[in-house]
Amino acid sequence: MKCKQSEKYLLRSLENRLNPSVKIQLKSHLDDCPQCRKRQSEYQIILRSLKEESFPETLPYFWERLQPRLKEKRKIDPWFVGKQFGLRAIPLSILVVVLFTAAVFLFIPSPKEELDLSQTGVFLLQNSNPLEETQTLLSEEGDGNKHIMLLFSSLDETNDIGRNLP
Amino acid sequence: MDEKDLVRNSKEGDEEAFGVLVIKYKTKVYHLAYSLTQDAQAADDLAQEVFIKAYFALDKFRGKSEFGTWIYRIAVNHCRDFLRKKNRMTQIPLENIIGKISAQEDETFPEEKEQEEAQRRKVVHTTIQTLPDKYRVILSLRDIQDFSYSEIAKILDISPGTVDSRLHRARKMLRKKLEPFFSQKGEGHEM
Repeated sequence: MKCKQSEKYLLRSLENRLNPSVKIQLKSHLDDCPQCRKRQSEYQIILRSLKEESFPETLPYFWERLQPRLKEKRKIDPWFVGKQFGLRAIPLSILVVVLFTAAVFLFIPSPKEELDLSQTGVFLLQNSNPLEETQTLLSEEGDGNKHIMLLFSSLDETNDIGRNLP
Repeated sequence: MDEKDLVRNSKEGDEEAFGVLVIKYKTKVYHLAYSLTQDAQAADDLAQEVFIKAYFALDKFRGKSEFGTWIYRIAVNHCRDFLRKKNRMTQIPLENIIGKISAQEDETFPEEKEQEEAQRRKVVHTTIQTLPDKYRVILSLRDIQDFSYSEIAKILDISPGTVDSRLHRARKMLRKKLEPFFSQKGEGHEM
């Protein structure tokens, strides 16, 4: 085993992550190499020092001090409030759309289809009186008026500018 | 109430639920910040900022990882940003640090052995501050905070293999930097 390789293995051995056969090889290398033994000892000191680090206690009232900072930040960031509201609004708006669509289908009657009927069909099926207009004209009092209006009502074709054709 | 419920309620704006999560994770986040800065006040500020960041980014937390892993990731990134800014401002040569600490008489440890141990710890922790950020972070997570390799991989979003190799380089670099201290103290010859 070379020194470079042994350094890699001895770091693993300090964490007990070495398989037994490599462990034996490492041990025999360390027995013969004072330089690697020195390294091993230095690594042991370093790792022990790191593990022994004493942490100070967190400063008191951590959450109590954090709360006003969150509130303040929220005031500055109205988009965040919008986002929070938006999260709740999404299912609500989906529900409203579904209910509205259901109401449209259930309660609003569909418009009657316009039938393509002949004039006779219209008279018979839609219960229209074909003589209604004539009866109205005949009920006019003056004879002159009756004749003129009957004459005009018979002319139902018009030209391009909207005048009756002769 | 389990953690998932607490996270869900926090997302909906329940501050009390978020408070429970803060109380659960504040110590670890604070220790992580402290191990990277060696400054109690800065660590407290950083920990508070980490939770503020997390609160306003809760809608981005999809629950693919543990909440703890997610919050440590935020903490690591936030501390890295802080260190980057700080390093730009101050860069103390390592020799000065080691010389200064070695010369100090620590009166809080009357026993010579204890005093030596404390001094050694101080030197090691101060030397970590001179390493590049990525090595400082990985040493802090593994050797100080005692996170497992897979946890570190998740927090740093790297493979466990990369954790192993980066950690190896970090320890090697730290030992190299500490060589003057060890030779000064005559340590490391035989244990």
